[in-house]
Amino acid sequence: MLHIVDDEEVIRDSLTWLAQSRRIQASSYAGVQPFLDMLDAGYTFSPEGDCLLLDMRMPDMSGALLFDTLAARGLTQRMPVIFLTGHGDVPMAVDSLKRGAFDFFEKPFNDNKLMDRVQEALQASLQAGEQAQVQARLDSLSAREREVMDLILEGRMNKVIADMMGITMRTVEVHRAHLFAKMGVRTAVELARLLK
Amino acid sequence: MSFPLSYKPLLSRRTWQWLVPVLCALLFLATAIWLPYQAQQMESIERQEQLIADTLWVEQTIRFQLGRNEDDIQSLAHEIAAGHLTNENLQSRMRFLLRTHPELTRITWIDAAGQTLASDQEAPLASQALPESLRLKLARIRSTLAPEYIQHDPPKDSRHPALMDYLFPIQQGGRYIGSVIATYSLGGILEHMVPWWFAQKNEVRLVDRHERILGQRAAGGIGRGVYTYAHDLHLPYADITLRTDSVKGPPRLLPNLLIVVVVALSLGLFWSLAALWRDVNRRMAVERALREQVAFRTAMEDSLVTGLRVYDLNGRITYVNPAFCRMVGVPAEELIGRSPPMPYWAPEILQDYQERFAQRIAGRIDSQGFETIFLRRDRTRFPVLIYESALVDENGRQTGWMSSILDISDRKRFEELNRSQQEKLQASARMVIMGELASTLAHELNQPLAAIISYTTGALNLLADPDACAGEADMTLIRNALEKANAQAQRAGHVIRSVHTFTKRREPHREPVNLSALIADIVQLAELQAKQYFITIRADVAPGTPAVLADPMMLGQVLLNLTRNAIESMRDMAPERRILDIGAASDPLAPGHVNISVTDRGCGIPQDARERLFSPFFSTKTDGMGMGLKICRTVVESHGGTLTYTDNPGGGTVFRFSLHAASSAKT
Repeated sequence: MLHIVDDEEVIRDSLTWLAQSRRIQASSYAGVQPFLDMLDAGYTFSPEGDCLLLDMRMPDMSGALLFDTLAARGLTQRMPVIFLTGHGDVPMAVDSLKRGAFDFFEKPFNDNKLMDRVQEALQASLQAGEQAQVQARLDSLSAREREVMDLILEGRMNKVIADMMGITMRTVEVHRAHLFAKMGVRTAVELARLLK
Repeated sequence: MSFPLSYKPLLSRRTWQWLVPVLCALLFLATAIWLPYQAQQMESIERQEQLIADTLWVEQTIRFQLGRNEDDIQSLAHEIAAGHLTNENLQSRMRFLLRTHPELTRITWIDAAGQTLASDQEAPLASQALPESLRLKLARIRSTLAPEYIQHDPPKDSRHPALMDYLFPIQQGGRYIGSVIATYSLGGILEHMVPWWFAQKNEVRLVDRHERILGQRAAGGIGRGVYTYAHDLHLPYADITLRTDSVKGPPRLLPNLLIVVVVALSLGLFWSLAALWRDVNRRMAVERALREQVAFRTAMEDSLVTGLRVYDLNGRITYVNPAFCRMVGVPAEELIGRSPPMPYWAPEILQDYQERFAQRIAGRIDSQGFETIFLRRDRTRFPVLIYESALVDENGRQTGWMSSILDISDRKRFEELNRSQQEKLQASARMVIMGELASTLAHELNQPLAAIISYTTGALNLLADPDACAGEADMTLIRNALEKANAQAQRAGHVIRSVHTFTKRREPHREPVNLSALIADIVQLAELQAKQYFITIRADVAPGTPAVLADPMMLGQVLLNLTRNAIESMRDMAPERRILDIGAASDPLAPGHVNISVTDRGCGIPQDARERLFSPFFSTKTDGMGMGLKICRTVVESHGGTLTYTDNPGGGTVFRFSLHAASSAKT
């Protein structure tokens, strides 16, 4: 989902049209506040990934300020921000880039290049989503399970693990079954791929 | 101001200088006082001595006369003794003696018994009539046989003369036989034996030992008792003293006019010496004050930073102060006596100096002061501000001109700094305004352009997508997008049009412009910057150049821009080359047009800059905006002319454009 925040109706309309021409779902907001309202209303991330096209200069709140708000909420990974800058905002945009913005485009922009970057941002958003999921699963492991998992990832057999941990092989198998279930994998190979 | 102690020895030397004449004068005065006294003393002594000498001489004379008388008496006595004289003869001899010797009053011959035997008198002297004293004497000489004088007591009656007798014993064979008695009148002695000149000057007296007056002669008056002398006559057995008493009084202290004059003169001398002393003191005080003044003035002149210069009526320099010498770097010796051209005149504006010089000689002086440029010895130039005034002596006669010269390099630098700072400020202000304008314009255009690009790109995307292009719905979408793009393009067009109308409102307002006046204004404006770099601006509007039809403000801006460019192109050139010409003349090739040119002798336009010279935002200056020439060209073109440039054959560039003459435009 591409979120467009711009005070200019024409820009919102034309960019929505452009995104749709590239088969990218887009929704637009006339300012910073409507967008934040939408987030606070319980937005769930889109399965195609999320990206925010943000006009640097707007009457109610500057784009940079919104970016800071998002960064404070830890959302800039799940929702990469691409700035649209007019004249003379370039230094501000570069500064944002250093603080984690995905990219910036100077108006008037080459639209297809913009859309290419939007798609890359959506991909990055998806990956960030997955990483967040893996992390959530890892967090759900118990300390014992974590220990067992680390040894499995080292490629050790259950028997060796049981000896090393000073527990029975049966207990190791129980832990292994639990952590595989929690991580949503069936084999050690899958586990390794998930955590690479 | 105070003078050092070196004046103290001078003072003492002065005292010494004065001491000698004062001492001399004192000595002179003492001498003048002492001399009359001394003269009086000397005169007194001299008179006394003279009196003594005269008295002695008179005494001698008296003695001599008495001696001769004694001889006559003696010879008479001898003849009596011889006895060959008759009584008559004796009588006549006696009378003869009395005649020839008027001092004798009587001669008598008496015998040993005292009887008168013969006398010049008829009546012989009776022996008893002989006075007692005479008889005593006669008795004595009878035994001594030596002649004697007998002095009678002075008579009680002053009418009778005091008498003195001379007794001469007559002896025969050693025996006393009688005496001859010659009786003298003491008054007669004085009368006949004392010379008249002596008597005239002195009172002469004969006195006895009791100071009784026996005879007196005072032909010249009574004696004063000042110069007196007494001398014994040394007559045997007579005690008679000759007393002289000068009729002259004591000599007066100031006996004559000469002394008075000398004393008066010496007093005069003292007075004049005192006057001289006072005068010299006053003179020295004045001199010291003058010296202090001179020293003070010299110190003031030397420490002055303002240069001072004096011209005489022929235009020769007669005075320069050290500050001026420091300013121009030429020593005073080389300047004094110089006539124009002066060594500190910059060659490129020689004519200016000469004109000003001629004006000064003609008596026209600008009391407001004027600015010009002077040349240092090291050929560097510096701006000066000169004030001049006529130099008038105490008689009110003009003797020359006095100029005070201020080096205003620092002021100029400050002014220039100020001006350039101001200019930079204005430029940056213009930059901000232009930036703001450009920003607004860019934003205004960016939005529709961005939208147009998005719409058209989206449409192209759809058209390129083989899956999407089939449906009617997609075609509607594409049309929609294109319509929106169209609308945005029109919006952009509107923005451009509105900018255009905004500029159109500033269409030049045209009126006939007098080029001489306009160029004079521009020169005045540019002068400030030009002087900073010692650039001379020459305006040359050909006579008969018609007025041009133009917007005076904009045309002025064009000329000012071109002039400033020209000034800046010459700032690093050799000073002699820094001449800027602004010219205007009727175009000989195109009647009804006026050619205006700005010519510099600067660095010229580099080859690589020529193509973009008139492009906006192109500048060869570090702080330039790159709008100047662009604006110039726009303005000239809006007036129907063309701005062109060519290389100046002597180096530098000529910018030239032509405008319609006002008169031809009307027809």
